[in-house]
Amino acid sequence: MAEMVRKSSVDEVLNHWILAGSCILLVITGFAFLFHMESVGGVFGGFDTMKSVHNWAGVVFSVSLLYSMRHYLADALHYDADDRQWFKVAGGYLSHKVKVPPMGKYNPGQKLYYLIILLAGIAIALSGFAIWFMKDNGSIMLLAHLVHNVAFVVFVVVVPVHIYLGTLANPGTFGIMVTGTMPLETAKKRHPKWIS
Amino acid sequence: MANNTNTSRKAILVTPELCIGCRACQVACKSWNQLSAIKTKNNGTYQNPPDLASAAYNMIQYSEVPSDQNAVRWLFLSRRCMHCEDAGCMTICPSPGALYRTDDGAVAFDRDKCIGCKLCVNACPFDVPRYDAEDKVTKCHLCFDRIGAGMEPACTKTCPTGALKFGDRDELVGAAKQEGFGTIYGEKDLGGLGSIYAFKEEPKLYGMKENPEIPSSVVFWHTYLKPLSLIGLGGVVGAAAIHYLAIGPHKDQEEEV
Repeated sequence: MAEMVRKSSVDEVLNHWILAGSCILLVITGFAFLFHMESVGGVFGGFDTMKSVHNWAGVVFSVSLLYSMRHYLADALHYDADDRQWFKVAGGYLSHKVKVPPMGKYNPGQKLYYLIILLAGIAIALSGFAIWFMKDNGSIMLLAHLVHNVAFVVFVVVVPVHIYLGTLANPGTFGIMVTGTMPLETAKKRHPKWIS
Repeated sequence: MANNTNTSRKAILVTPELCIGCRACQVACKSWNQLSAIKTKNNGTYQNPPDLASAAYNMIQYSEVPSDQNAVRWLFLSRRCMHCEDAGCMTICPSPGALYRTDDGAVAFDRDKCIGCKLCVNACPFDVPRYDAEDKVTKCHLCFDRIGAGMEPACTKTCPTGALKFGDRDELVGAAKQEGFGTIYGEKDLGGLGSIYAFKEEPKLYGMKENPEIPSSVVFWHTYLKPLSLIGLGGVVGAAAIHYLAIGPHKDQEEEV
């Protein structure tokens, strides 16, 4: 058995699952509302119940998103020269022949992704609560409806990229989401600045 | 973004200058739709109820405007759902079937399918939909149940002066024009309204909204954001698949150049 190193704490792994699960549930129900998908509504026993599921999944997502800040925000705000070089070589994702600079715990793509999720997440949560609780204020409702849908477009574009990069594109990464650990040897190659 | 097109579209033609403000239309509507009475306060006008409500699908709006001949002119305007061809309420509603188009071209509601989000209230250019005590949408449905049984809506049936007429929309528009009404309000607005108004004067005088439009944010959302969410999702999933096939997953050692 290879020697493992812990990359994510237990509460981080758990919270990421809650965040991911609620997010996917919200996206599916969101699409169902947007495009009147009656088959999806039927799964929940109708659109009225689906609305409750969507609202309360939103509460779970909001809490989970705020909690995730303690895991990722500090890292996501720091970028160094290697990070700039990483963008120049597109993280090595467009060619296996370029030299990718040594990375810390997260690469700048992941850090930027987190900031996008945090900002779009706060926007979609606040606008969602406005649609839920401020029904009688016409201008707030229409603004919130617009913000909610703009943030939704951001989510459906960036989240699949994140899922792809965390599974197929980087074999082994998904294991970190499950166990919170990765083999030491792999960590030395992928995260030299973090391991040292 | 018309919700539907209809060849046998029915309409109510309101001719405000024929209206005597008797409010029989209000009573007939309540009677047919079994709507309860609303306790109101005298606020210095004959207008009662003061506004459309979950128990008032139609109402007469009373307004006093300056006049050359008399001290004041007293105008009566029968209001209800406009049954827009391009209906903002139907466009924004997230629950299929909660607001729907009848065979006669009216916009009706199904309270069992309403999820109580109130988006329709905010997308309506005419401030028509109201929520009842159970937070379900209500509004005029052009008495689709009466029309389906070969009758006309309760309000037009009871109107004693002809201020309210029900019939084939095209015929009503043609007849009103022949009678010399210069302005048919709602003939073209929002794809054509199902409640049309015949005026010889400026509709604004009677308190009609000028250039009614669906809120621009709703139009933008419907025209661009909705398709963009599908195109965006499909695009990145497709791009990921192409990346996986063309370039392939990450390798821990870079290849020799």
